Amino acid sequence: MASAYLQIILSGLSVGGVYALVAFSFSITFTTTKTLNFSQGEVVGFGAFVGVAVLSLLGISALAAPGITEGLGYLAALVGAGAVMGAVGVLLFLLAVRPFTGKPGMNWVMSTIGFGIILQSLGLAIWGPAPVMVASPFGSDVIRIGDAGIRPQEILIFVCVIGLVVVLDLVYRRTTFGKVMRAVAFDPDAASLMGIDIRKVMVLTFAFSCALAGVSGVLLAPIASASLFMGMGVALKSFSGAMIGGLNNPRGCIYGGFMLGLLETSVAFWQAQWREIVVFLLIILVLAFRPNGLFGGTVAEKV
Amino acid sequence: MLSIETLKLTYGPIVAVRDVSLRVEAGEIVAIVGSNGAGKSTLLKGIAGLMLPSAGRIAFEAKDISRLPAHLRVAGGIALSPEGRRVFADQSVRDNLVLGAYARRLDPDALEAEIEAQFVLFPRLRQRRDQLAMTLSGGEQQMLAIARALMASPRLLLLDEPSLGLAPMVVREIVDIVRRLRERGITILLVEQMANLALAIADRGYVLETGRVSLSGTGRELLRDPQVRAAYLG
Repeated sequence: MASAYLQIILSGLSVGGVYALVAFSFSITFTTTKTLNFSQGEVVGFGAFVGVAVLSLLGISALAAPGITEGLGYLAALVGAGAVMGAVGVLLFLLAVRPFTGKPGMNWVMSTIGFGIILQSLGLAIWGPAPVMVASPFGSDVIRIGDAGIRPQEILIFVCVIGLVVVLDLVYRRTTFGKVMRAVAFDPDAASLMGIDIRKVMVLTFAFSCALAGVSGVLLAPIASASLFMGMGVALKSFSGAMIGGLNNPRGCIYGGFMLGLLETSVAFWQAQWREIVVFLLIILVLAFRPNGLFGGTVAEKV
Repeated sequence: MLSIETLKLTYGPIVAVRDVSLRVEAGEIVAIVGSNGAGKSTLLKGIAGLMLPSAGRIAFEAKDISRLPAHLRVAGGIALSPEGRRVFADQSVRDNLVLGAYARRLDPDALEAEIEAQFVLFPRLRQRRDQLAMTLSGGEQQMLAIARALMASPRLLLLDEPSLGLAPMVVREIVDIVRRLRERGITILLVEQMANLALAIADRGYVLETGRVSLSGTGRELLRDPQVRAAYLG
């Protein structure tokens, strides 16, 4: 039984890591622009294929055996997907978000969904609808810990996510750019009174957010295989993680993502067909009692 | 220094400021008084660039800034301490001040010196340095809002309702600071509901009524004006 729990924790932390990353990416664009990016799932899927394209440009077969060249190739795929999707994020902001920020109404719902559909169709035109298997740079031999097993890619995801999360948290809290982002999130008008160009901050936030989603796609590809449809489920779960943790609190979103991953694997271990039902029932319950999420809190505003 | 001509500011179909013309000379304290909803805060937002005019012209130091976005006006020498303080509640006092100097791109030593200068002016903020702004009292938040605006090293400081909701003792402290700022050569445009307070320290004043200037004159003249006394001084 102990090994079963260990198995749940290992798998849960790895899938939860991806949710945490995407949940964080939802949160930073939400807090700075007060819009939700409904194309984030497509960004994840497109990013995975950009990673595959980088591998094939480098002449590395997506199913190659592990090795140093393959490892470096995978790193290049992560960086490449981050860079390309970052640029896509700029485009997304300019085309689908900028015209509607700061205005009443929710036109950005349709425009971001539309952008996602365009992105997905573009991907289908370039790469076709078939999923592509991607080999993990560390191979696929399951590592045994007692009776529990874990794939090297799951460890890689966890390590990458923890590394990224620590860096992101430091950037958000300690650097001037982080303080500026938080100022824009808290009160855009007051931020512009500081001499901050809030449009520029919003563009950068979208670039940053989509870069993270693209990287998540490449991280996920070796366990879920790259597909232009892979992002939908990931984005929905990550969004749920963000809601549980509190959409307005990036750190809470990271916790929320991990919690959702653990919860999902626990329920799946018990009864796979109950997974989605239990997960979403719990989300509804959490939101009923804590509308701002578990870590969302409410900032006391003194008047 | 600041010259506004026939300015019109609107929120959608609602006209909040219409046909306002006024001047502020370098080194002056100018007060804008009027009742709630007269358009005082809107006027300051227009000068700071948070709202762009529907008609009219704003010139600062002989340059037309009517279409200049807010963040560039700060760099140009105009800082606003907004109504309701609007401090970054989830960040520390120090970080609020750091953000105040954002437009100046100071090196770390110059930044520390500038923060120190604010702590000399507002000793209470020094004690609260590492606390989140949301934990400050109303008076301390007002001081932080003014200090944050001063971090931009403005030549023209816009103060919106600095006395709002504060105890009389704290109000006196803030009045004292406004006087000291003028001695340092900062020009001040002050918006206040407490008309007697504002007109007592102002060189000149304007009375705003439903978005228009209804009266103007020196602080003294306005304090003695029977109409002003009846309407705003009780």
